[in-house]
Amino acid sequence: MRIWKVLLVGLLVLLLSTVAFAKFPEKQITLIIQAAAGGASDGVSRTIAAEAQKYLGVPIVCINKVGASGAIAMDYVAKSKPDGYTIGYVPVELSMLKALGYANIDPRNYDLIMRANILPAAVTVRKDAPWKDIKEFVAYAKEHPYEVTIGTSGAGSIWHIAGAALGEKTGAKFTYVPFPGAAPSVASLMGGHIAAVTCSPGEVLSGVQGGKLRVLAVMGEHRSPLYPDVPTLKEMGIDVVVMAWGGFALPKGVPKDRYDIIAKAFKKAYDSESFKKYCESHGIEPGYLPGDEFMKFAISQMELYTDLINKLGLNKKK
Amino acid sequence: MDVLHAILSIFQPATFTYLTLGVLLGVFVGAMPGLTATLAVAILTPLTFWLPPSQGLAMLIGVYNSAIFAGGISAILINTPGTPASIATTWDGYTLSKKGMAGIALSINSIYSVFGGLFSSVILALISFPLAEFALKFGPSEYFALAIFGLSMMVSVSGKSIVKGLLVGVMGLALATVGLDPMLSYPRYTFGKTELLNGFSFIPIMIGLFGLGEVFFQVFESHDVKSVFTRTIGRLFPTLEQIKRMNIPALLSAVIGVVIGAIPGTGGDIASIIAWDQAKRISKHKEEFGKGSVEGLAATCVANNAVIGGAMTTMLTLGLPGDAPTAVLIGALMMYGHPPGPALFRDYPDFVWTIIGLMFVANLVILPIGILGSRIYAKTLTLSKPILWSIIIIFSIIGSYGVNNNPMDLWVVFIAGVFGFIFRKLEFPLGPVILALILGPMAESNLRRALIISHGRWSVFVTHPISLILLSLSALALILPLLRRKKEMKKNGA
Repeated sequence: MRIWKVLLVGLLVLLLSTVAFAKFPEKQITLIIQAAAGGASDGVSRTIAAEAQKYLGVPIVCINKVGASGAIAMDYVAKSKPDGYTIGYVPVELSMLKALGYANIDPRNYDLIMRANILPAAVTVRKDAPWKDIKEFVAYAKEHPYEVTIGTSGAGSIWHIAGAALGEKTGAKFTYVPFPGAAPSVASLMGGHIAAVTCSPGEVLSGVQGGKLRVLAVMGEHRSPLYPDVPTLKEMGIDVVVMAWGGFALPKGVPKDRYDIIAKAFKKAYDSESFKKYCESHGIEPGYLPGDEFMKFAISQMELYTDLINKLGLNKKK
Repeated sequence: MDVLHAILSIFQPATFTYLTLGVLLGVFVGAMPGLTATLAVAILTPLTFWLPPSQGLAMLIGVYNSAIFAGGISAILINTPGTPASIATTWDGYTLSKKGMAGIALSINSIYSVFGGLFSSVILALISFPLAEFALKFGPSEYFALAIFGLSMMVSVSGKSIVKGLLVGVMGLALATVGLDPMLSYPRYTFGKTELLNGFSFIPIMIGLFGLGEVFFQVFESHDVKSVFTRTIGRLFPTLEQIKRMNIPALLSAVIGVVIGAIPGTGGDIASIIAWDQAKRISKHKEEFGKGSVEGLAATCVANNAVIGGAMTTMLTLGLPGDAPTAVLIGALMMYGHPPGPALFRDYPDFVWTIIGLMFVANLVILPIGILGSRIYAKTLTLSKPILWSIIIIFSIIGSYGVNNNPMDLWVVFIAGVFGFIFRKLEFPLGPVILALILGPMAESNLRRALIISHGRWSVFVTHPISLILLSLSALALILPLLRRKKEMKKNGA
């Protein structure tokens, strides 16, 4: 009997402590990363997590749930208990997967914490390519429909959308060649098997520094710090902005006080030296937006991509 | 001076300690099925952030080299490749263990992995730029030809019955089509399931077919559960005569490994399978391959470790990942403020020499750890069968789940295990399935990619010299055995 009493008292104390002294957070937090260890999503997540746990006072454990363009991880986060103990990294696919017809992922199913980074696309060609600037490149493609090949990181990927948006806006006809990720497409460009790639500025950096590649234009709102001399498409009179981005999200319905605690800690992590350093060394642009603005942004992106994806005929559920 | 200074700096106590630590960690990670070299490097990278670059890299390079070597240990002892790079090691390595010669198999794995690593480090030091330039010549049509060349080995890895081999090979090809289509991203055979969009993950299938399948088979076949797997591990070192036989295949495999490693996107799995097949082709003892050939074993051990130097070549000179772990290493180098590329060689030559030196020393550290450890690892075989089986099952489950943290992978590993059992029971070979799973998607996507680039002209496969050579070799590989058989039949008839 005695053991039962002890257990009962113990249970009562435990119950009371959670009710009366509910303090958040009191146990470790899980951060779900949608991509494999070692990539940009993983790096941003782990850097932010390492900093944020200092302010939260509990460890943040990073788990990589890879698969289905991130749909598995994002779906998992959306369906997790909204108690603040499960956080997810959300990349640009948050606004794309529904339009592509892969999975029912919608930014409105989350409480967004913040946008952390942006990653504009860049149009890159070989150093010895005949085109002096982006205008000549587009003009050539217009005169020779489908002759110019652009490598992308997969059909329906953000870097494919980038290349397609360029063609769509200028009326030039390109042949898009999907590769399993950006790195193989860059390798193929270096080897002279394709004419151009549209991927992030950082992914072509060593090729540019090594004198094999040349960036014609970046597709962001402003110039890339990696290539201050390279104009944006907007500057060249082509009104297209395509960029990847990433941020953090909670399942919908997390209590306001908990949300605030997490959002504050993540903002502090964003402002930290180590995140700044990580971004600089990896060619990633910090791009903070608070939760509410991030939501507006994600929804506007979703509308943009839905439109583009339908025009390109990439939607799998017609 | 640069070289000398760089090499000497490796022997500073801290650097050397981290290197050894990395090697020891790599042995554990590599031998655990499901924990891959890529994963180890990825998880360690942020931890090395607070170290000076040379020490951080010492740890990463140590882990990378030794994990690939250690993948062979579990392949040899329990028929479960520790990493995909050691799949081909099971073919001869595990058979040797079953024959009570685990000792020799383990020491061959140590010695020849180190040989492969050292050979590729020499290449990295001497001709990294020309090799990387050659690797860049591989475009879609060349990748397609390479995949076909690999697939043409289906016949030689089929074992007794070519028909059975081709049957399971085609099953593997079909399985590989599940998921988003590589060109149009159209979902194939996913039945509306999000979990299947990326297809079946390879590692759970591999662990299931090899590890679980073997356990299930033994459980059904063994009548005396109290017995141990084998009482002897045999002698620990190969005889002089065996070493002589392994020399030529080892050298050939080292070259194959370095070149395939340098080609972006291809790694130790493909290299060791191709090396095994080429070693078989030049061997005077073809019939032993797959039944415990020391030549076959050495070829696979050399090739998967030689891949590392090749992959590092492409990574350092061009900033392109040669295989999966080097993709993560690029991130580490960027973090240290030394992004790879020709600029690195120009601006920080001593840093490059440190990396090359670390490759050498890492391999030299692996040698004693591998050989001295052989006796300890081999002890697993003296456990009673039920205990050994339980350990393999537990590791298989943890390893499969650990890859993606995806519960579906637990079903995959279990079902693959059942198939592995059925295949063994009916004497269907596993080699062709694995070959199809690795090379099928590579062949398909690059065929279509090449045709998109050529605007539908099939001639690209013969106008590009590399693809022409590889395709011709594949055709020869298929025709020669037929001709040989015809000749034999004539001889027998007459």
